[in-house]
Amino acid sequence: MSKGAEEKRVISDSELALSLQAGSLEALGVLYDRHRGLVFRTALAITGDAEAAADLMHDVFLRLHRFAAHIDPQRPLEPWLYRMTTNLSYTWVKRRQRWFRPFEDVADWLAGTHKDTPAYQAEMDDSWRQVQQAVSSLPLSHRGVVVLYYVNDLSLQEISEILDIPVGTVKSRLHYGRQALKQSLGLLAGEILPELQYEFT
Amino acid sequence: MENKSDALMRKILKKWVNRQHPPDSSRRRLLWDAAYISSNKIDLTLIFLNPQVKSYSSSTENDWHQRFFSWINENSIQFGIQARII
Repeated sequence: MSKGAEEKRVISDSELALSLQAGSLEALGVLYDRHRGLVFRTALAITGDAEAAADLMHDVFLRLHRFAAHIDPQRPLEPWLYRMTTNLSYTWVKRRQRWFRPFEDVADWLAGTHKDTPAYQAEMDDSWRQVQQAVSSLPLSHRGVVVLYYVNDLSLQEISEILDIPVGTVKSRLHYGRQALKQSLGLLAGEILPELQYEFT
Repeated sequence: MENKSDALMRKILKKWVNRQHPPDSSRRRLLWDAAYISSNKIDLTLIFLNPQVKSYSSSTENDWHQRFFSWINENSIQFGIQARII
């Protein structure tokens, strides 16, 4: 193999996983560059919070480094990343619902920064905020399936393996999640939000 | 085949998530933390324990055993060491 061809050869995930098991931080960096998009997008879509998504992405790759010895380099890495990302995102959402949201609301109230004030709302693009709210209003189990299917283009079978649920359950959650989302976004009645209509039609 | 509203929803969701990106410092932060954990890994790969459950009364036996097991698991993950309870 010529030097140029050798330089161009893409190192596979399994080779990188082996290097990671040997403690290579360079391998971790390459895996991060290669897969950060899927991890960040998935975490962002499930949590609806960019800051949390960045933290979860950090956590996922740190766990990849820490538990590299338990990963089978012969198997594809992406399902492991999706599984870890959805699990950590689910935990984040549940914890936030249980503990932090009430405190945040009280803090906002004390500071006088109500999130329903015009000043706050003007900061956020209205249409995208509605998309975020529509996704966030889905039950967590439906949300995960919808995100993996629509945002990450995974098949029903792949989602079933990642979430460890039967394909029939994936189909059912996708059906209900899809209907709820279409209704929220005005896609059922053909009344798509004006700004989105401008973007996509 | 995907219908029109499905395809539109896919586009909307993708566009929504693609509007935001992780901070530029994420990679540096990850490699820094990974290096820190590697260099500080506690040189204690196995914890050998043999809980003497027989010496406790039967009413608390399961409780303390379970709590101790959970504590070991949680803390070993937190500090990046492997623990095995025998």
